[in-house]
Amino acid sequence: MLLDYDRLGWLRAALLGFTGLVAAFLLLPVVFIVLLSFGSSRWLAFPPPSWTLKWYEELFADPAWLEAALTSARIATMAAILAVVIGLLASFALVRGQFRGRNTLRGLLLTPMVLPVVVFAIAIYAFFLRIGLGGTTAGFVIAHTVLALPFAIIPITAALEGFDKTIEDAAIVCGASPFEAKLRVTLPAIKIGIFSAAIFAFLASWDEVVVAIFMASPTLQTLPVKIWGSLRQDLSPVIAAASSLLVLLTLSLMIVTALIRRKLSK
Amino acid sequence: MSGNLLHRQPILRRPDGVGGALPALTLITLFFVVPVVALLLRSVTEPVPGLQNYATLFGDGTYARVFLNTFLVATVVTAVTVIVAFPVAWMLAIMPPALGSIVFGIIILSMWTNLLTRTYAWMVLLQRTGVINRTLMDIGLISQPLPLINNLTGVTIGMVYIMLPFMILPLVGTLRAIDPMTLRAAALCGASPFDAFRRILLPLSLPGIAAGGLMVFVMSLGYFVTPTLLGGTSNMMLAAMIAQMIQSLLNWGLGSAAAFILLLVTMALYALQLRLVGAKRMTGGI
Repeated sequence: MLLDYDRLGWLRAALLGFTGLVAAFLLLPVVFIVLLSFGSSRWLAFPPPSWTLKWYEELFADPAWLEAALTSARIATMAAILAVVIGLLASFALVRGQFRGRNTLRGLLLTPMVLPVVVFAIAIYAFFLRIGLGGTTAGFVIAHTVLALPFAIIPITAALEGFDKTIEDAAIVCGASPFEAKLRVTLPAIKIGIFSAAIFAFLASWDEVVVAIFMASPTLQTLPVKIWGSLRQDLSPVIAAASSLLVLLTLSLMIVTALIRRKLSK
Repeated sequence: MSGNLLHRQPILRRPDGVGGALPALTLITLFFVVPVVALLLRSVTEPVPGLQNYATLFGDGTYARVFLNTFLVATVVTAVTVIVAFPVAWMLAIMPPALGSIVFGIIILSMWTNLLTRTYAWMVLLQRTGVINRTLMDIGLISQPLPLINNLTGVTIGMVYIMLPFMILPLVGTLRAIDPMTLRAAALCGASPFDAFRRILLPLSLPGIAAGGLMVFVMSLGYFVTPTLLGGTSNMMLAAMIAQMIQSLLNWGLGSAAAFILLLVTMALYALQLRLVGAKRMTGGI
Protein backbone atom coordinates (compact mmCIF):
# COMPACT_ATOMS: atom_id res chain seq x y z
CA MET A 1 0.00 0.00 0.00
CA LEU A 2 3.02 2.24 -0.46
CA LEU A 3 1.19 4.63 -2.77
CA ASP A 4 -1.94 4.88 -0.66
CA TYR A 5 -1.73 7.91 1.62
CA ASP A 6 -4.40 6.63 4.00
CA ARG A 7 -2.91 3.18 4.43
CA LEU A 8 0.77 3.91 4.91
CA GLY A 9 0.66 3.46 8.67
CA TRP A 10 3.74 4.42 10.68
CA LEU A 11 5.66 5.00 7.48
CA ARG A 12 3.45 8.00 6.74
CA ALA A 13 4.47 9.76 9.94
CA ALA A 14 8.14 9.15 9.18
CA LEU A 15 7.87 10.33 5.58
CA LEU A 16 5.80 13.38 6.52
CA GLY A 17 8.31 14.28 9.20
CA PHE A 18 11.15 14.01 6.71
CA THR A 19 9.24 16.07 4.13
CA GLY A 20 8.66 18.74 6.79
CA LEU A 21 12.39 18.83 7.57
CA VAL A 22 13.29 19.21 3.88
CA ALA A 23 10.68 21.97 3.47
CA ALA A 24 12.21 23.74 6.49
CA PHE A 25 15.68 23.32 4.96
CA LEU A 26 14.43 24.87 1.71
CA LEU A 27 12.75 27.72 3.54
CA LEU A 28 15.59 28.38 6.02
CA PRO A 29 17.90 30.63 3.94
CA VAL A 30 15.00 32.65 2.54
CA VAL A 31 13.47 33.41 5.94
CA PHE A 32 16.88 33.87 7.53
CA ILE A 33 17.98 36.52 5.05
CA VAL A 34 14.79 38.53 5.52
CA LEU A 35 15.15 38.47 9.34
CA LEU A 36 18.82 39.38 9.05
CA SER A 37 18.09 42.43 6.92
CA PHE A 38 16.22 43.99 9.87
CA GLY A 39 18.94 43.10 12.41
CA SER A 40 21.16 45.84 13.76
CA SER A 41 24.44 43.88 13.86
CA ARG A 42 26.93 44.80 11.15
CA TRP A 43 28.61 41.44 11.79
CA LEU A 44 25.34 39.61 11.07
CA ALA A 45 24.96 38.24 14.60
CA PHE A 46 21.85 36.14 14.96
CA PRO A 47 19.46 36.55 16.66
CA PRO A 48 20.09 40.29 16.19
CA PRO A 49 20.65 42.44 19.30
CA SER A 50 17.94 44.86 18.08
CA TRP A 51 15.92 45.64 14.98
CA THR A 52 16.55 48.43 12.51
CA LEU A 53 15.81 49.75 9.02
CA LYS A 54 19.24 51.28 8.53
CA TRP A 55 20.42 48.72 5.95
CA TYR A 56 17.46 49.60 3.77
CA GLU A 57 18.30 53.30 4.20
CA GLU A 58 21.89 52.58 3.20
CA LEU A 59 20.65 50.56 0.22
CA PHE A 60 18.42 53.35 -1.07
CA ALA A 61 21.06 56.00 -0.36
CA ASP A 62 23.42 54.36 -2.86
CA PRO A 63 22.14 55.13 -6.38
CA ALA A 64 24.30 52.33 -7.84
CA TRP A 65 21.87 49.69 -6.46
CA LEU A 66 18.81 51.25 -8.04
CA GLU A 67 20.65 51.81 -11.28
CA ALA A 68 21.75 48.18 -11.39
CA ALA A 69 18.18 47.02 -10.71
CA LEU A 70 16.83 49.21 -13.52
CA THR A 71 19.52 47.94 -15.90
CA SER A 72 18.58 44.36 -15.03
CA ALA A 73 14.88 45.05 -15.52
CA ARG A 74 15.51 46.70 -18.88
CA ILE A 75 17.73 43.91 -20.19
CA ALA A 76 15.48 41.13 -18.85
CA THR A 77 12.37 42.69 -20.39
CA MET A 78 13.96 43.01 -23.81
CA ALA A 79 15.48 39.53 -23.65
CA ALA A 80 12.15 38.02 -22.56
CA ILE A 81 10.19 39.70 -25.38
CA LEU A 82 12.74 38.61 -27.97
CA ALA A 83 12.93 35.07 -26.60
CA VAL A 84 9.14 34.65 -26.54
CA VAL A 85 8.62 36.00 -30.09
CA ILE A 86 11.50 33.98 -31.57
CA GLY A 87 10.55 30.96 -29.46
CA LEU A 88 6.91 31.14 -30.50
CA LEU A 89 7.80 31.15 -34.19
CA ALA A 90 10.25 28.30 -33.67
CA SER A 91 7.72 26.28 -31.67
CA PHE A 92 5.27 26.14 -34.60
CA ALA A 93 8.02 24.70 -36.78
CA LEU A 94 9.19 22.29 -34.06
CA VAL A 95 5.73 20.95 -33.26
CA ARG A 96 4.03 20.97 -36.65
CA GLY A 97 6.83 21.09 -39.18
CA GLN A 98 7.57 18.00 -41.18
CA PHE A 99 11.13 18.23 -42.24
CA ARG A 100 14.26 16.21 -41.83
CA GLY A 101 16.32 16.93 -38.74
CA ARG A 102 13.46 18.33 -36.72
CA ASN A 103 14.61 16.60 -33.54
CA THR A 104 18.18 17.71 -34.15
CA LEU A 105 16.95 21.28 -34.51
CA ARG A 106 15.01 20.99 -31.26
CA GLY A 107 18.12 19.66 -29.53
CA LEU A 108 20.24 22.48 -30.95
CA LEU A 109 17.83 25.22 -29.86
CA LEU A 110 17.70 23.78 -26.33
CA THR A 111 21.49 23.34 -26.00
CA PRO A 112 22.08 26.76 -24.34
CA MET A 113 20.17 25.41 -21.35
CA VAL A 114 22.46 22.39 -21.03
CA LEU A 115 25.90 23.77 -21.85
CA PRO A 116 27.63 25.02 -18.68
CA VAL A 117 27.09 28.76 -18.61
CA VAL A 118 30.74 29.44 -17.93
CA VAL A 119 31.69 28.00 -21.35
CA PHE A 120 29.12 30.16 -23.13
CA ALA A 121 30.11 33.17 -21.01
CA ILE A 122 33.77 33.17 -22.03
CA ALA A 123 32.87 32.30 -25.64
CA ILE A 124 30.41 35.17 -26.07
CA TYR A 125 32.70 37.50 -24.11
CA ALA A 126 35.57 36.86 -26.52
CA PHE A 127 33.25 37.07 -29.53
CA PHE A 128 31.69 40.38 -28.46
CA LEU A 129 35.09 41.89 -27.72
CA ARG A 130 36.03 41.11 -31.29
CA ILE A 131 32.89 42.50 -32.94
CA GLY A 132 32.59 45.52 -30.64
CA LEU A 133 29.53 44.50 -28.60
CA GLY A 134 31.43 43.96 -25.34
CA GLY A 135 29.94 45.82 -22.37
CA THR A 136 26.95 47.12 -24.36
CA THR A 137 23.24 46.76 -23.64
CA ALA A 138 22.76 45.16 -27.06
CA GLY A 139 25.42 42.57 -26.20
CA PHE A 140 23.75 41.79 -22.88
CA VAL A 141 20.32 41.45 -24.53
CA ILE A 142 21.60 39.14 -27.27
CA ALA A 143 23.49 36.89 -24.86
CA HIS A 144 20.55 36.69 -22.47
CA THR A 145 18.10 36.01 -25.31
CA VAL A 146 20.22 32.99 -26.30
CA LEU A 147 20.09 31.71 -22.70
CA ALA A 148 16.36 32.48 -22.31
CA LEU A 149 15.28 30.90 -25.60
CA PRO A 150 15.05 27.29 -24.30
CA PHE A 151 12.96 28.49 -21.35
CA ALA A 152 10.54 30.08 -23.85
CA ILE A 153 10.46 27.15 -26.27
CA ILE A 154 9.77 24.43 -23.67
CA PRO A 155 6.41 25.71 -22.31
CA ILE A 156 5.21 26.94 -25.72
CA THR A 157 5.89 23.66 -27.52
CA ALA A 158 4.24 21.82 -24.62
CA ALA A 159 1.13 24.01 -24.95
CA LEU A 160 1.11 23.68 -28.72
CA GLU A 161 1.36 19.90 -28.53
CA GLY A 162 -1.74 19.88 -26.36
CA PHE A 163 -3.70 22.01 -28.81
CA ASP A 164 -5.92 20.29 -31.37
CA LYS A 165 -4.93 21.65 -34.77
CA THR A 166 -8.30 20.80 -36.33
CA ILE A 167 -9.75 23.78 -34.44
CA GLU A 168 -7.37 26.04 -36.33
CA ASP A 169 -8.31 24.25 -39.56
CA ALA A 170 -11.98 24.80 -38.76
CA ALA A 171 -11.36 28.55 -38.55
CA ILE A 172 -9.74 28.42 -41.99
CA VAL A 173 -12.66 26.46 -43.39
CA CYS A 174 -14.92 29.18 -42.00
CA GLY A 175 -13.01 31.74 -44.01
CA ALA A 176 -10.14 32.94 -41.86
CA SER A 177 -6.73 33.31 -43.44
CA PRO A 178 -4.08 30.94 -42.02
CA PHE A 179 -2.42 33.88 -40.26
CA GLU A 180 -5.71 35.12 -38.85
CA ALA A 181 -6.56 31.63 -37.61
CA LYS A 182 -3.24 31.39 -35.77
CA LEU A 183 -3.60 34.85 -34.29
CA ARG A 184 -7.20 34.60 -33.16
CA VAL A 185 -7.69 30.90 -32.48
CA THR A 186 -4.38 29.21 -31.71
CA LEU A 187 -2.59 31.95 -29.77
CA PRO A 188 -5.46 32.52 -27.31
CA ALA A 189 -5.64 28.75 -26.78
CA ILE A 190 -1.95 28.47 -25.82
CA LYS A 191 -1.77 31.71 -23.84
CA ILE A 192 -0.86 29.95 -20.58
CA GLY A 193 2.17 28.43 -22.28
CA ILE A 194 3.16 31.82 -23.69
CA PHE A 195 2.69 33.42 -20.28
CA SER A 196 4.90 30.79 -18.58
CA ALA A 197 7.46 31.31 -21.32
CA ALA A 198 7.57 35.05 -20.62
CA ILE A 199 8.03 34.51 -16.86
CA PHE A 200 10.75 31.86 -17.27
CA ALA A 201 12.57 33.88 -19.94
CA PHE A 202 12.48 37.01 -17.79
CA LEU A 203 13.83 35.13 -14.76
CA ALA A 204 16.54 33.48 -16.87
CA SER A 205 17.93 36.91 -17.68
CA TRP A 206 17.11 38.68 -14.40
CA ASP A 207 18.97 36.06 -12.32
CA GLU A 208 21.82 35.46 -14.72
CA VAL A 209 25.21 35.93 -13.07
CA VAL A 210 28.00 34.31 -15.03
CA VAL A 211 27.66 35.92 -18.47
CA ALA A 212 26.91 39.20 -16.73
CA ILE A 213 30.13 39.07 -14.71
CA PHE A 214 32.17 38.74 -17.87
CA MET A 215 30.18 41.27 -19.91
CA ALA A 216 29.78 43.97 -17.27
CA SER A 217 31.68 47.23 -17.63
CA PRO A 218 32.16 49.97 -15.02
CA THR A 219 29.27 51.86 -16.59
CA LEU A 220 26.96 48.92 -17.25
CA GLN A 221 26.25 46.36 -14.58
CA THR A 222 23.18 44.32 -13.74
CA LEU A 223 21.86 43.66 -10.25
CA PRO A 224 23.49 40.19 -9.92
CA VAL A 225 26.84 41.74 -10.88
CA LYS A 226 26.39 44.41 -8.22
CA ILE A 227 25.54 41.75 -5.61
CA TRP A 228 28.46 39.58 -6.74
CA GLY A 229 30.85 42.51 -6.41
CA SER A 230 29.61 43.31 -2.90
CA LEU A 231 29.75 39.64 -1.85
CA ARG A 232 33.38 39.37 -2.86
CA GLN A 233 34.23 42.35 -0.65
CA ASP A 234 32.34 41.55 2.54
CA LEU A 235 29.08 40.07 3.78
CA SER A 236 27.53 43.49 4.44
CA PRO A 237 23.92 43.49 5.75
CA VAL A 238 23.08 45.85 2.87
CA ILE A 239 23.19 42.74 0.66
CA ALA A 240 20.64 41.16 3.00
CA ALA A 241 18.36 44.16 2.49
CA ALA A 242 18.73 43.94 -1.30
CA SER A 243 18.18 40.18 -1.12
CA SER A 244 15.02 40.60 0.94
CA LEU A 245 13.57 42.90 -1.70
CA LEU A 246 14.38 40.21 -4.28
CA VAL A 247 12.56 37.63 -2.13
CA LEU A 248 9.58 39.99 -1.97
CA LEU A 249 9.71 40.29 -5.74
CA THR A 250 9.79 36.48 -6.11
CA LEU A 251 6.79 36.14 -3.81
CA SER A 252 4.79 38.75 -5.72
CA LEU A 253 5.73 37.10 -8.98
CA MET A 254 4.51 33.72 -7.65
CA ILE A 255 1.20 35.23 -6.53
CA VAL A 256 0.67 37.15 -9.77
CA THR A 257 1.54 34.01 -11.76
CA ALA A 258 -0.95 31.92 -9.80
CA LEU A 259 -3.68 34.53 -10.25
CA ILE A 260 -3.08 35.01 -13.96
CA ARG A 261 -2.90 31.26 -14.56
CA ARG A 262 -6.21 30.84 -12.78
CA LYS A 263 -7.75 33.63 -14.83
CA LEU A 264 -6.32 32.40 -18.13
CA SER A 265 -7.43 28.83 -17.62
CA LYS A 266 -11.07 29.86 -17.12
CA MET B 1 -17.88 14.68 -44.81
CA SER B 2 -15.48 17.00 -43.07
CA GLY B 3 -12.57 14.74 -43.94
CA ASN B 4 -13.59 15.06 -47.53
CA LEU B 5 -13.78 18.81 -47.28
CA LEU B 6 -10.33 19.02 -45.76
CA HIS B 7 -9.06 16.77 -48.48
CA ARG B 8 -10.17 19.08 -51.23
CA GLN B 9 -8.40 22.03 -49.72
CA PRO B 10 -4.71 21.15 -49.76
CA ILE B 11 -3.84 24.36 -47.90
CA LEU B 12 -5.22 22.87 -44.68
CA ARG B 13 -3.06 19.81 -44.95
CA ARG B 14 0.09 21.80 -45.52
CA PRO B 15 2.12 21.59 -42.33
CA ASP B 16 3.99 24.56 -40.94
CA GLY B 17 7.40 24.55 -42.56
CA VAL B 18 10.85 25.02 -41.20
CA GLY B 19 10.54 28.77 -41.87
CA GLY B 20 9.35 29.74 -38.40
CA ALA B 21 12.50 28.31 -36.88
CA LEU B 22 14.77 30.49 -39.00
CA PRO B 23 15.06 33.46 -36.57
CA ALA B 24 15.86 31.06 -33.72
CA LEU B 25 18.30 29.12 -35.86
CA THR B 26 20.03 32.35 -36.95
CA LEU B 27 20.29 33.59 -33.38
CA ILE B 28 21.69 30.32 -32.06
CA THR B 29 24.11 29.84 -34.95
CA LEU B 30 25.47 33.38 -34.91
CA PHE B 31 25.61 34.01 -31.18
CA PHE B 32 26.01 30.51 -29.76
CA VAL B 33 27.53 28.01 -32.17
CA VAL B 34 30.02 30.39 -33.81
CA PRO B 35 31.36 31.88 -30.54
CA VAL B 36 31.67 28.45 -28.90
CA VAL B 37 33.45 26.92 -31.91
CA ALA B 38 35.72 29.97 -32.15
CA LEU B 39 36.59 29.52 -28.48
CA LEU B 40 37.37 25.85 -28.94
CA LEU B 41 39.65 26.68 -31.87
CA ARG B 42 41.68 28.91 -29.59
CA SER B 43 42.50 25.86 -27.48
CA VAL B 44 44.54 24.39 -30.33
CA THR B 45 45.93 27.62 -31.77
CA GLU B 46 47.06 29.64 -28.75
CA PRO B 47 49.78 30.44 -27.94
CA VAL B 48 51.05 28.27 -30.82
CA PRO B 49 49.20 25.68 -32.92
CA GLY B 50 49.19 22.22 -31.39
CA LEU B 51 47.83 20.18 -28.54
CA GLN B 52 50.19 21.51 -25.86
CA ASN B 53 47.29 23.01 -23.85
CA TYR B 54 45.70 19.60 -23.48
CA ALA B 55 49.05 18.06 -22.63
CA THR B 56 49.44 20.63 -19.86
CA LEU B 57 45.95 19.99 -18.52
CA PHE B 58 46.37 16.22 -18.42
CA GLY B 59 50.02 16.23 -17.39
CA ASP B 60 49.89 18.55 -14.40
CA GLY B 61 48.85 17.25 -10.99
CA THR B 62 47.24 20.56 -10.03
CA TYR B 63 44.73 20.31 -12.85
CA ALA B 64 44.18 16.60 -12.22
CA ARG B 65 43.12 17.55 -8.71
CA VAL B 66 40.61 20.08 -10.02
CA PHE B 67 39.05 17.45 -12.31
CA LEU B 68 38.94 14.97 -9.46
CA ASN B 69 37.40 17.53 -7.09
CA THR B 70 34.75 18.41 -9.65
CA PHE B 71 33.72 14.80 -10.22
CA LEU B 72 33.79 14.06 -6.51
CA VAL B 73 31.56 17.02 -5.62
CA ALA B 74 29.15 16.32 -8.50
CA THR B 75 28.88 12.65 -7.45
CA VAL B 76 28.31 13.39 -3.77
CA VAL B 77 25.82 16.18 -4.56
CA THR B 78 23.89 13.90 -6.91
CA ALA B 79 23.79 11.01 -4.43
CA VAL B 80 22.64 13.19 -1.53
CA THR B 81 20.09 14.98 -3.69
CA VAL B 82 18.56 11.71 -4.90
CA ILE B 83 18.36 10.26 -1.39
CA VAL B 84 16.79 13.40 0.09
CA ALA B 85 14.48 14.08 -2.85
CA PHE B 86 12.95 10.61 -3.14
CA PRO B 87 10.92 10.51 0.11
CA VAL B 88 9.75 14.10 -0.46
CA ALA B 89 8.64 13.38 -4.02
CA TRP B 90 6.96 10.20 -2.79
CA MET B 91 4.93 12.14 -0.21
CA LEU B 92 4.13 14.92 -2.69
CA ALA B 93 2.80 12.37 -5.16
CA ILE B 94 0.20 11.00 -2.75
CA MET B 95 -0.36 13.82 -0.24
CA PRO B 96 -3.75 15.56 0.04
CA PRO B 97 -3.58 18.51 -2.40
CA ALA B 98 -4.09 21.15 0.33
CA LEU B 99 -1.02 20.02 2.24
CA GLY B 100 0.94 19.32 -0.93
CA SER B 101 0.43 22.79 -2.35
CA ILE B 102 2.16 24.29 0.71
CA VAL B 103 5.22 22.12 0.12
CA PHE B 104 5.12 22.86 -3.61
CA GLY B 105 4.92 26.58 -2.79
CA ILE B 106 8.03 26.36 -0.62
CA ILE B 107 9.91 24.47 -3.34
CA ILE B 108 8.99 27.05 -5.99
CA LEU B 109 9.85 29.95 -3.66
CA SER B 110 13.27 28.46 -3.02
CA MET B 111 13.84 27.73 -6.70
CA TRP B 112 12.78 31.18 -7.91
CA THR B 113 14.66 33.15 -5.28
CA ASN B 114 17.72 34.82 -6.73
CA LEU B 115 20.66 32.38 -6.84
CA LEU B 116 23.05 34.88 -5.25
CA THR B 117 20.57 35.58 -2.46
CA ARG B 118 20.39 31.90 -1.56
CA THR B 119 24.16 31.49 -1.74
CA TYR B 120 24.68 34.63 0.37
CA ALA B 121 22.35 33.18 3.02
CA TRP B 122 24.42 30.00 3.15
CA MET B 123 27.64 31.99 3.38
CA VAL B 124 26.29 33.73 6.47
CA LEU B 125 24.71 30.59 7.95
CA LEU B 126 27.80 28.43 7.53
CA GLN B 127 30.53 30.85 8.58
CA ARG B 128 32.69 30.21 11.66
CA THR B 129 30.57 32.44 13.85
CA GLY B 130 27.37 31.61 11.97
CA VAL B 131 24.07 30.41 13.36
CA ILE B 132 24.74 26.75 12.71
CA ASN B 133 28.08 26.66 14.52
CA ARG B 134 26.73 28.84 17.33
CA THR B 135 23.72 26.57 17.84
CA LEU B 136 25.77 23.38 17.81
CA MET B 137 28.15 24.86 20.36
CA ASP B 138 25.33 26.14 22.56
CA ILE B 139 23.74 22.74 22.84
CA GLY B 140 27.16 21.27 23.55
CA LEU B 141 27.50 19.00 20.53
CA ILE B 142 30.82 20.57 19.56
CA SER B 143 33.37 22.66 21.43
CA GLN B 144 35.14 24.16 18.41
CA PRO B 145 33.38 25.69 15.38
CA LEU B 146 33.20 23.21 12.50
CA PRO B 147 34.85 24.31 9.25
CA LEU B 148 31.68 24.44 7.14
CA ILE B 149 32.68 27.02 4.57
CA ASN B 150 35.56 27.55 2.13
CA ASN B 151 35.77 23.80 1.68
CA LEU B 152 33.93 20.98 -0.05
CA THR B 153 31.44 20.61 2.83
CA GLY B 154 30.15 24.13 2.17
CA VAL B 155 30.01 23.54 -1.57
CA THR B 156 28.10 20.29 -1.08
CA ILE B 157 25.51 21.82 1.27
CA GLY B 158 24.96 24.82 -1.01
CA MET B 159 24.74 22.72 -4.16
CA VAL B 160 22.33 20.16 -2.69
CA TYR B 161 20.14 23.07 -1.64
CA ILE B 162 20.05 24.41 -5.18
CA MET B 163 19.62 21.05 -6.92
CA LEU B 164 16.83 19.61 -4.72
CA PRO B 165 13.91 21.22 -6.63
CA PHE B 166 15.33 19.95 -9.95
CA MET B 167 15.23 16.42 -8.57
CA ILE B 168 11.98 16.56 -6.59
CA LEU B 169 9.72 18.06 -9.26
CA PRO B 170 10.35 15.56 -12.10
CA LEU B 171 10.35 12.67 -9.63
CA VAL B 172 6.84 13.59 -8.46
CA GLY B 173 5.71 13.12 -12.06
CA THR B 174 7.34 9.70 -12.28
CA LEU B 175 5.82 8.54 -9.00
CA ARG B 176 2.35 9.82 -9.89
CA ALA B 177 2.47 7.81 -13.11
CA ILE B 178 2.87 4.55 -11.19
CA ASP B 179 -0.38 2.65 -10.83
CA PRO B 180 -1.09 2.18 -7.09
CA MET B 181 -2.78 -1.12 -7.98
CA THR B 182 0.61 -2.73 -8.63
CA LEU B 183 1.51 -2.10 -4.99
CA ARG B 184 -1.86 -3.26 -3.74
CA ALA B 185 -1.36 -6.44 -5.70
CA ALA B 186 2.03 -6.92 -4.10
CA ALA B 187 0.54 -6.51 -0.63
CA LEU B 188 -2.24 -8.97 -1.44
CA CYS B 189 0.31 -11.50 -2.57
CA GLY B 190 2.02 -11.20 0.78
CA ALA B 191 4.92 -8.87 0.07
CA SER B 192 6.17 -6.94 3.09
CA PRO B 193 6.32 -3.14 2.71
CA PHE B 194 10.08 -3.38 2.43
CA ASP B 195 9.84 -6.00 -0.35
CA ALA B 196 7.22 -3.93 -2.15
CA PHE B 197 9.51 -0.90 -1.96
CA ARG B 198 12.61 -2.75 -3.10
CA ARG B 199 11.03 -4.82 -5.84
CA ILE B 200 8.24 -2.60 -7.15
CA LEU B 201 8.29 1.07 -6.14
CA LEU B 202 12.03 1.59 -6.54
CA PRO B 203 12.42 -0.20 -9.91
CA LEU B 204 9.37 1.61 -11.32
CA SER B 205 10.74 5.00 -10.31
CA LEU B 206 14.24 4.22 -11.55
CA PRO B 207 13.79 5.99 -14.93
CA GLY B 208 12.85 9.20 -13.12
CA ILE B 209 15.72 8.83 -10.67
CA ALA B 210 18.19 8.20 -13.49
CA ALA B 211 16.96 11.16 -15.57
CA GLY B 212 16.86 13.58 -12.63
CA GLY B 213 20.14 12.34 -11.22
CA LEU B 214 21.89 12.72 -14.55
CA MET B 215 20.55 16.26 -14.87
CA VAL B 216 21.75 17.17 -11.39
CA PHE B 217 25.15 15.59 -12.09
CA VAL B 218 25.57 17.50 -15.35
CA MET B 219 24.50 20.79 -13.78
CA SER B 220 26.84 20.24 -10.84
CA LEU B 221 29.84 19.53 -13.08
CA GLY B 222 29.71 22.96 -14.67
CA TYR B 223 28.39 25.02 -11.77
CA PHE B 224 30.23 28.25 -11.19
CA VAL B 225 28.55 30.58 -8.70
CA THR B 226 27.99 28.44 -5.61
CA PRO B 227 31.34 26.59 -5.63
CA THR B 228 33.16 29.87 -6.13
CA LEU B 229 31.45 31.58 -3.18
CA LEU B 230 31.22 28.63 -0.77
CA GLY B 231 34.37 26.77 -1.77
CA GLY B 232 37.95 27.46 -0.86
CA THR B 233 40.84 28.44 -3.10
CA SER B 234 42.66 25.20 -2.38
CA ASN B 235 39.92 22.96 -3.77
CA MET B 236 38.70 24.77 -6.84
CA MET B 237 36.16 23.26 -9.21
CA LEU B 238 36.43 23.14 -12.99
CA ALA B 239 34.13 26.06 -13.89
CA ALA B 240 35.85 28.36 -11.42
CA MET B 241 39.24 27.32 -12.77
CA ILE B 242 38.16 28.09 -16.35
CA ALA B 243 36.90 31.54 -15.33
CA GLN B 244 40.12 32.23 -13.46
CA MET B 245 42.32 31.17 -16.39
CA ILE B 246 40.51 33.63 -18.64
CA GLN B 247 39.75 36.49 -16.26
CA SER B 248 42.82 36.72 -14.07
CA LEU B 249 45.51 34.85 -15.96
CA LEU B 250 44.37 35.81 -19.49
CA ASN B 251 45.48 32.35 -20.60
CA TRP B 252 42.93 31.86 -23.37
CA GLY B 253 44.56 28.75 -24.79
CA LEU B 254 44.52 26.78 -21.54
CA GLY B 255 41.15 28.18 -20.47
CA SER B 256 39.45 27.19 -23.69
CA ALA B 257 41.03 23.72 -23.60
CA ALA B 258 39.54 23.20 -20.13
CA ALA B 259 36.23 24.59 -21.41
CA PHE B 260 36.30 22.08 -24.26
CA ILE B 261 36.77 19.17 -21.85
CA LEU B 262 33.82 20.41 -19.77
CA LEU B 263 31.72 20.81 -22.92
CA LEU B 264 32.59 17.33 -24.16
CA VAL B 265 31.70 15.60 -20.90
CA THR B 266 28.48 17.60 -20.54
CA MET B 267 27.30 16.92 -24.07
CA ALA B 268 28.08 13.21 -23.81
CA LEU B 269 25.98 12.96 -20.64
CA TYR B 270 23.23 15.06 -22.23
CA ALA B 271 23.10 12.68 -25.18
CA LEU B 272 22.90 9.76 -22.77
CA GLN B 273 20.03 11.43 -20.94
CA LEU B 274 18.15 12.10 -24.18
CA ARG B 275 18.48 8.42 -25.01
CA LEU B 276 17.25 7.46 -21.55
CA VAL B 277 14.16 9.63 -21.41
CA GLY B 278 13.63 10.75 -24.99
CA ALA B 279 13.65 14.36 -26.18
CA LYS B 280 9.89 14.64 -25.76
CA ARG B 281 9.87 13.80 -22.06
CA MET B 282 12.81 16.11 -21.40
CA THR B 283 11.25 19.10 -23.07
CA GLY B 284 7.89 18.54 -21.45
CA GLY B 285 9.59 18.78 -18.09
CA ILE B 286 8.64 22.34 -17.20
